[in-house]
Amino acid sequence: MVRSAIVGCGKIADSHAHQMQRINGCEIVGVCDTEPLMARQLADRFPVRECFSDLAELLKEARPDVVHITTPPQSHFGIAKLCLEAGCHVYVEKPFTVNEQEAERLIALADRKKLKLTAGHDDQFRHAARRMRKVIQNGYLGDGPVHMESYYCYEIGHSGYAGAILGDPQHWVRRLPGKLLHNIISHGIARIAEHLVGEMPDVIAYGFVSPHLRKRGESEIIDELRVIISDEQRNTAYFTFSSQMRPDLHQFRIYGSKNGLVLDQDQETVIRLPGKRMISYAEKFLPPLITAGEYVRNVAANLRTFVSNDFHMKSGMKHLIESFYQSIAENTPVPIPYREILMTARIMDSIFAQLETNEPRARKFLVAEARKA
Amino acid sequence: MNEGPKRDFIAKPDDLVLITGATGFIGSRLVSNLLDRGFRNLRCLARRSSGVDRLEAIRRSVAARARLEVVSGNLLSRDDCMRATAGAAVIYHVAAGRGEKFIPDAFLNSVVTTRNLMEAAIKQQSVKRFVNVSSFTVYSNIDNPKGRLLDEEGAVEKNPEKRKDAYCFAKVKQDEMVREYGDQHGLPYVIVRPGYVYGPGNEGMTFRVGIGTCGLYLHLGGSNTIPITYVDNCAEAIALAGLTPGVDGEVFNVVDNDLPSSRWLLRQYKKNVRRFASIYVPHALSYALCCGWEWYSEWSQGQLPPVFSRKEWHASWKKTRYSNQKLKTRLGWEPKVPTSEGLRRHLEACRLRGVHG
Repeated sequence: MVRSAIVGCGKIADSHAHQMQRINGCEIVGVCDTEPLMARQLADRFPVRECFSDLAELLKEARPDVVHITTPPQSHFGIAKLCLEAGCHVYVEKPFTVNEQEAERLIALADRKKLKLTAGHDDQFRHAARRMRKVIQNGYLGDGPVHMESYYCYEIGHSGYAGAILGDPQHWVRRLPGKLLHNIISHGIARIAEHLVGEMPDVIAYGFVSPHLRKRGESEIIDELRVIISDEQRNTAYFTFSSQMRPDLHQFRIYGSKNGLVLDQDQETVIRLPGKRMISYAEKFLPPLITAGEYVRNVAANLRTFVSNDFHMKSGMKHLIESFYQSIAENTPVPIPYREILMTARIMDSIFAQLETNEPRARKFLVAEARKA
Repeated sequence: MNEGPKRDFIAKPDDLVLITGATGFIGSRLVSNLLDRGFRNLRCLARRSSGVDRLEAIRRSVAARARLEVVSGNLLSRDDCMRATAGAAVIYHVAAGRGEKFIPDAFLNSVVTTRNLMEAAIKQQSVKRFVNVSSFTVYSNIDNPKGRLLDEEGAVEKNPEKRKDAYCFAKVKQDEMVREYGDQHGLPYVIVRPGYVYGPGNEGMTFRVGIGTCGLYLHLGGSNTIPITYVDNCAEAIALAGLTPGVDGEVFNVVDNDLPSSRWLLRQYKKNVRRFASIYVPHALSYALCCGWEWYSEWSQGQLPPVFSRKEWHASWKKTRYSNQKLKTRLGWEPKVPTSEGLRRHLEACRLRGVHG
């Protein structure tokens, strides 16, 4: 039996509670929010043993094995530190921390305490993402990735979330170094980070406030971002975040020396792209048929998953939580390597630092070269 | 425009009246209604994100005869609530977490905000009445036999978490909060529960008529009466609920006279707004589908989200009658805009916007 607790009872806490409910041997021993009414509303709807408005009390009285932190990112470090010091394993929602330095300190503390940490990169554990990982592990790409493209878009529209951020100059999202991007892009960056080699990738970022947001009077929230990333072996990646492009893709493309793969998170498909060309006119007819066959295969896989009752919207979160709990119970490696968490934080730090100065490194480089000339 | 309050109201024309959600669909009409009644000292609390242009225009137009103060603030801030309630004699709490898909968001923006506002109102000690604008959605209607009257005595949803409707959950809890704080701290309150509020500014068709999915419109209401109220009539009822003496602790449902049937309403939409394909789903079939959906959703632990259920069917699509008798007898309310005229204006606005829900 795993005794779990949730700290922060907003929207994402609902997903955690729902998925924890589906895991055999998991008991929610406490939920905590500084606003007692929020803790109560969560406890009213899920099987929760006790409500708290004070973290220290939760840790002392409910004595959880694992704490899920679902508060705004600025508080992740402080809360996770307290939980680790109290001897709890910690699942931290994305973004893991506000910057890489905080992430490093948490990981070091967890190691010292012989406890485990994971980040809420649950999209990495959806059915299609796991299928893709297996195909890559079987060597489909050839000698590792040559180039990747990660799209992680977000339709701002007039949703409550976006409305709240755009309308409130004091909103906590605005106080993050990367503002809106900071709260959203880690899923898309983590996909790239998983396959990068070395420690210090080069990052060139270019971002701007879309004309759409400018029309709504916004000048601070960057909602269009393009990034080029290159690792120490010169494997490269493009990352795109857009609030305006349609379809608003959540897609990951990875190309190796032999073949490529396309993961579509929204359609939950993984399409294999054979690298070998066909002769003459066969190239015009057979590959489209082969690709159509790939889609049929994916539809069949999705249907099987649905019929076997494992196609929930947050199935990735359930799998990540289960894998994390298993790694704790069996003292095996955590589902998301710490290197990947740090790499994601490092890339994000670099992007936000460039956006802060509003000058991509490429442009800086060109200016410097021009001056030299 | 009236020259001043003609009836014996609990507030005088110069008493300060606070309206939350004043930039919204109902709130803005309430402001106009109160000004027309001769109230000269209004404070409107609006979120920083809300467009206050309309309010500013009203403020300028009435500057010579009334003081309309537009206060920017957030009900999640206790300080903002204290600032907004300072000196208020009547509070109309119209702001709501409407349109939120998720229960925590709806709860935060309806219940936590209401608690903050009531706490501030209690501290101020100047408030003669707190009017909470609720909704028909709080009624369960499950024990009400088919075709029977649903009035203010109707049972409120006991387990709103099982309806899985964020707005319903938040409104039930908000009403509970108002009663609890009102009774415990002696803050006089009235709860107003409008049916579907329609009119230019809220173009669309209530889900009580049907729902559009995959390019097809499922007509679920059939011959049901649809509980609607034109926005100006609703504002009139809310205004009276805050001013009429002797109604503390009461609940008022708001529906207009001459309520249309679902089928008639759908026909008018198709005729006046635009044509679209629709399929009538008989009540027995919609009930069976709701049962099936609910069963599968529970069995699969939410693989299909529990948006349809027997509870939802009883609350939204069961044949029911409605009454505005209490509004008329206790508040002296009469609809200013007849349903035929209200619908004409509404359909015209829909036609211009090209929407049907």
